[in-house]
Amino acid sequence: MSTRTDWGRREPPLKGSNFELYGWFFMRISGLLLVLLAVGHMFIMHVFNDTLNLDYEFVAARWDTPYWRIFDWLLLTLSLLHGTNGLRVVLHDNLNDLTIRKLALSALYGTSLIFFILGTYVIIAFVSQS
Amino acid sequence: MAYQKIVSSGAVYKGKTGMWLYIFHRITGVALFGYLILHIISTALILLGPEVYEGAEAIYKNFYFRIAEIGLMAAILAHAINGLRIIAVDLWKRGSEFQKQLNIISLVLFIAIFIPSTYKMTTSYFDICLEKSQAGTTLTDCMIRPLPDWKSK
Repeated sequence: MSTRTDWGRREPPLKGSNFELYGWFFMRISGLLLVLLAVGHMFIMHVFNDTLNLDYEFVAARWDTPYWRIFDWLLLTLSLLHGTNGLRVVLHDNLNDLTIRKLALSALYGTSLIFFILGTYVIIAFVSQS
Repeated sequence: MAYQKIVSSGAVYKGKTGMWLYIFHRITGVALFGYLILHIISTALILLGPEVYEGAEAIYKNFYFRIAEIGLMAAILAHAINGLRIIAVDLWKRGSEFQKQLNIISLVLFIAIFIPSTYKMTTSYFDICLEKSQAGTTLTDCMIRPLPDWKSK
């Protein structure tokens, strides 16, 4: 039995850029890491602990060790990159008007950059007040 | 060229489970990105001190938000497990021969993880609510109160 594997395949770009290939590969690698980081984070916060017990002290104790700051920063960075690239593809597929697409993509990149800076600043700058 | 246009201009094509999983993956992905942004904002408030941070967290501590958290758990688990399925189809040499089996394994895996998590998140909500409230509080009280008043303990 011959299996068709070319469904939905698009014309390759005329000029050889490997950006989309790396983007595709990045989604797999970051996705695998996020299965550990994001699902792990959900289980730590919602199943092994309960968010009802989440308070300032809890975060302060957690961020007392650099390891949890590194964990949280990796989670922040990878989820933002993974989400931004995913949304980039969704916008490319669904917005046909080039001007609107450009505006939407700029808004996306701007938002992601701002929240990356904000999140990184919080994780680095936090000093417990208690 | 007409064919090219059909496959690249919309989410619906003549697929079956695979097409719906593809649409589902995009919807959960976009929703999770939205939640991520909200989550960064609420966590960033921690720089403003305990009162501001815990004031914001209190909004999340009612029963309606617990239901939303269970939905969040469902979205994360479904996106993660479906992502692993996609990786298997893409990168495993014989992945495309076993798509049906992979779909079933993914569904079983999702149910096996999601049901116990939901059970824990639900029972734990009521346990903590009853433990931190005054005597005489009922489960219904725990469900309908707009904001928990147990913060002082």
